[in-house]
Amino acid sequence: MSYSRITIASVSFVLCCLLSSVCLIVDAPAAALKSGSDDIASRSDQRFSALKGALPERGVVGYVGESGPLAAGDYYLTQYALAPVVVDHSPNHDLVIGNFPDSLSRDVPSNLQLKKDFGSGVLLFAARPSPQRNVQ
Amino acid sequence: MARLLPALLCLASGFLLVSLGWPHRKSAFSDYLFRASLSVGFGAGVFSVDFFLSLPAGVTHLLLIDLGALAVLLIAFFGQRLLSAAASVAMPPERTGELPRWSERAITVGFVIALCSALYSAIIRILAYPHGYGWDAFSIWNLHARFLFLGGANWRDGFTTLLPWSHPDYPLLLPAVVAHFWSYLGYDDPTVPAVISLLFTFSTVALLLAALSMIRGRMSAMLGATTLLATPAFIEQGTSQYADVPLSFFILASIALLCLRDDLARKDQAHAERYSGLLALAGLAVGCAAWTKNEGLLFLCTLVLARLLTLLRFDVSRGNWISVAPRIAPLVVATIPVLLLIAFFKHVIAPTGDLFSSSASTLHKLLDLSRYWAITRWYLKGFFRFGGWLLLPGTLLLIAYYAAARREKHAEPQTGIRTATLALALTLAGYFAVYLVTPYDIFWHLRFSLMRLFLQLWPSAIFLFFLIVKTREGEAGEVVQVENIEIPSP
Repeated sequence: MSYSRITIASVSFVLCCLLSSVCLIVDAPAAALKSGSDDIASRSDQRFSALKGALPERGVVGYVGESGPLAAGDYYLTQYALAPVVVDHSPNHDLVIGNFPDSLSRDVPSNLQLKKDFGSGVLLFAARPSPQRNVQ
Repeated sequence: MARLLPALLCLASGFLLVSLGWPHRKSAFSDYLFRASLSVGFGAGVFSVDFFLSLPAGVTHLLLIDLGALAVLLIAFFGQRLLSAAASVAMPPERTGELPRWSERAITVGFVIALCSALYSAIIRILAYPHGYGWDAFSIWNLHARFLFLGGANWRDGFTTLLPWSHPDYPLLLPAVVAHFWSYLGYDDPTVPAVISLLFTFSTVALLLAALSMIRGRMSAMLGATTLLATPAFIEQGTSQYADVPLSFFILASIALLCLRDDLARKDQAHAERYSGLLALAGLAVGCAAWTKNEGLLFLCTLVLARLLTLLRFDVSRGNWISVAPRIAPLVVATIPVLLLIAFFKHVIAPTGDLFSSSASTLHKLLDLSRYWAITRWYLKGFFRFGGWLLLPGTLLLIAYYAAARREKHAEPQTGIRTATLALALTLAGYFAVYLVTPYDIFWHLRFSLMRLFLQLWPSAIFLFFLIVKTREGEAGEVVQVENIEIPSP
């Protein structure tokens, strides 16, 4: 009796597990693959590739970007794309990156002047000379 | 060649390191699988340490370092084989099942289906998201790897207080091994972290399968591996390029090695000291866990404490003080090199971590009962949800299986199982304590981390479950000592 109970339990256990295996297949992002990679980090690397060539190889640059729920993610992706340059979330640097992927209105501090627009909302600003500004 | 050479060097280093602590010479398939899966993790550990130590030393010829490390391991390996040639031991034979043949076939087919589904899902995911899925992949782990690889002489720039959100105090096993491979390629190819994450995911499954097969038999192994493969969150997390699955690998490795050592030593009590190498490997594995994530450091402490408490309970109560030291010393000694490395990283390179930096309100939080209740509720809820299962939670399935199959009865105390169970329980209690004093909003912190913390322990929990539960397989053959020739007992 005990023997058959364990046999049935083992087989039933595996069958129940396989329900979740079906879930794995159904949820696999095969559709994303067919329409090309939907990887936001890959897209971000492409957006910033031209800017990367205009930055120094090392050091710290500033950052201004959009506000809203996606703002932190945009900033993280910028840092990921531009490493090993450190991107400080502050406009108080000689060079400041502007990242405005979704909005046309760009709220930029007055101490910054546009140096170059790389398209797709990627901008490079230089700080106007000011005695109060921290120089790095 | 640029891809194959570092992969071979990495695996060979891992395999030699594992072989140094491995007691057997004649091997069954599960034995090879155990060592092969461990080689992936230990190889990553060796590569990570090599790369990290080369940075402050300013050494740029990584091939020389890797060949040097390999040569040292080879010399140690052959030296050890020469010294222990006359003291080889035989493997316990593979256990024969007691389930009817049709059900064994059904379980095997189920395992193969689960394996194919998991492989399909994992490969599709890494092709669709080559940089990882989820913020932590590129805001922490791969970002650190980029700083290590692209930073050159300024590699420390990434561990600055200007980037607190990237957790610059997190240990570097994963970023350093990725950066090591990138150095061979010459560029930061996203397939490297993707393949490493895939290897860790399926090596964890292979390790679970091999360890259960060696200790409890083939059917237990199939059931355990199927449970893990059919945990969608484990496969998804494994391919997301976070460090939680590599950590789960090292936690499982340390527990499996500890249990295997105690199992073999119990069956071959006259020569228990021959299995001390497994204890040392368990120590290295838990050291690698601490070098992977901060939670691994907590697990290291709980494992050593649990081992000590378990041995004190069983040995000292029998007046057997002397036997305690050799059963814990190799484990502790093997963790020391990695602990020194972590101490160097934490005190010289990384800024202070964020969890315990605001100590002023810690006492207030500890006295707030509503926090205890909130965490308890999330623990209970998470227990049934964390795997992302369809319809039936895997945890519920295990409870149901236990109700049907019951517990395996053992004549002697299973110190390995007791140590591991206590260590996991203490680790869960440690996570609970961290949530209590977290400087973040407690619900935000629970929401974005609790499931991953449970996943870190899930492979080990499955392993212990199938060691404890009855699967109606035959008892193992005893280990017999022979001279140079290994003869399994009938």
